[in-house]
Amino acid sequence: MEQQLAELAAKVAELEAAGGGAAITNTMFAETFYYVTIPLMILIHAGFLAYEMGASRLKNVLSSGVKNILAFAFVIPTFYFFGWWVYWGFPTGLPGAPGPAGISGVEYANAIAWGWGQSAQYMGPNIADQASGVFFGAFALFAATTASIMSGAVIERIQTVAFIILAVVLGSFAWVVAAAWGWHADGWLVTDWGVHDFGAAGLVHAVAGFFALGVLINLGPRIGKFNADGTANHIPGHNMPLTVVGLMLIIVGFWGFLMACVIVPGEAWSWFADKPSTIYGTPITLSALSFNILMAIAGGIIGAWIYTRDPFWMMSGALAGIISAASGLDIYFPALAFIVAFSAGVILKPCADWLEKRGIDDAVGAVTVHGTIGLYGVVMLGIWGSGYPALQGAAGEAPTISLMGQIIGAVVFFLLGFVPGYVCSFILKMAGMLRVPEGAELAGMDLVKVPASGYPEWGGDAPVTPAHPAE
Amino acid sequence: MFPYDKATWEVVDGAMFMGWGGVLPGLATLIAAGICVAVLVIGQRSESAKARAFDK
Repeated sequence: MEQQLAELAAKVAELEAAGGGAAITNTMFAETFYYVTIPLMILIHAGFLAYEMGASRLKNVLSSGVKNILAFAFVIPTFYFFGWWVYWGFPTGLPGAPGPAGISGVEYANAIAWGWGQSAQYMGPNIADQASGVFFGAFALFAATTASIMSGAVIERIQTVAFIILAVVLGSFAWVVAAAWGWHADGWLVTDWGVHDFGAAGLVHAVAGFFALGVLINLGPRIGKFNADGTANHIPGHNMPLTVVGLMLIIVGFWGFLMACVIVPGEAWSWFADKPSTIYGTPITLSALSFNILMAIAGGIIGAWIYTRDPFWMMSGALAGIISAASGLDIYFPALAFIVAFSAGVILKPCADWLEKRGIDDAVGAVTVHGTIGLYGVVMLGIWGSGYPALQGAAGEAPTISLMGQIIGAVVFFLLGFVPGYVCSFILKMAGMLRVPEGAELAGMDLVKVPASGYPEWGGDAPVTPAHPAE
Repeated sequence: MFPYDKATWEVVDGAMFMGWGGVLPGLATLIAAGICVAVLVIGQRSESAKARAFDK
């Protein structure tokens, strides 16, 4: 009997040890899952870098690159300093009361998201916390993506420091408020209106696109873009192949972006023990993402091809395809995602032309691809996805997805982008900081700002990189 | 378009896409395939017309 009991106890101990091992494996998987999204999302920035430099004329190619690199460099620390705190602090709006899920409000944010005091334990290496850093990293890359979206629209005439200030306002504040309201499970847009924006078509893309529109109104067009009668001239970039490859890299990075929108199961902070969920706590599978992202890319490309035959717009159509279906990638049927994306690819160029006819010089079509199509995607989900439960779990009862809720979400995302973009750029314009002087713009911003040359063998007057700073 | 009678995720144990169990998935597949064919037809016609202009 004693021997049997001893054997039983040994068996139990063995099973407990195996269970503990499984828990450790799951924790390590969860940490790795988000960690991997970070380098994948950095590919978005490699793509935007190539895309913007290719879309710039030879005389501006490096200054466009410098601007893009600095946006990344400043958004990451500012998101660490205060952006992460804004996300956790204000899902329910002002004054930052806690929400029903118990993971929001100023008090909660003060406890986990500041880089000082007791809160700092969650903002640095901590053996007892394997999640905060990788969550922060994924969100910081979302933040940097918004700045890169705005960056392409304003190339070839904006001052570097003004651009960085705008990038910080967008990346570490404006989109963060949109994410708190429309993405966090305690967000008032979600709990009151059932807003569903799984892949951030509105709260990342539309906010960034319309922030760029607000800036473009104050920044004005590049010299030579418009004729005296108001007609527009095409200003081609110096390297279309670089631009097109950059767009493809952005799409590669989107897989990481959308992967980071999934909450893995089995952890203390997970919605479910046995299945992945969206950030709203509703079920999702990686299969759903694979089906729908691929079909949306294809639909967007085909739609843009039939209308334009232009590789720039075809690859922009691929982006537009993903963005148009992004809000409902968790619940679209793949063929329906294809149809929605196809329609986005078709309307893309006419929407960009409409904007251009109103005197807006958006050098890469960012307002249309990200702003207009982002809102289109949010509203499309209201048409096709009405009736789906918008939340699950501790957040309690919530409305279902509806057309009215999605339209309200779209309006809020538009305002959260456009208003800060317009106001901040207006202040910078009044301070004389927004735009480079005319002579510098004509000479080329590389000559003015960058002590290097993109293509030193091209032309005798190209600026030469000094071997030593003293030379 | 929620494919279950009760609007809660607790009743969902299988397919959860829009229109599951109805005609929407099949119809959408048919339309998507039709778009692909139509785009190829239109593309061939317009590209041929442009190419012929270079033979004159």
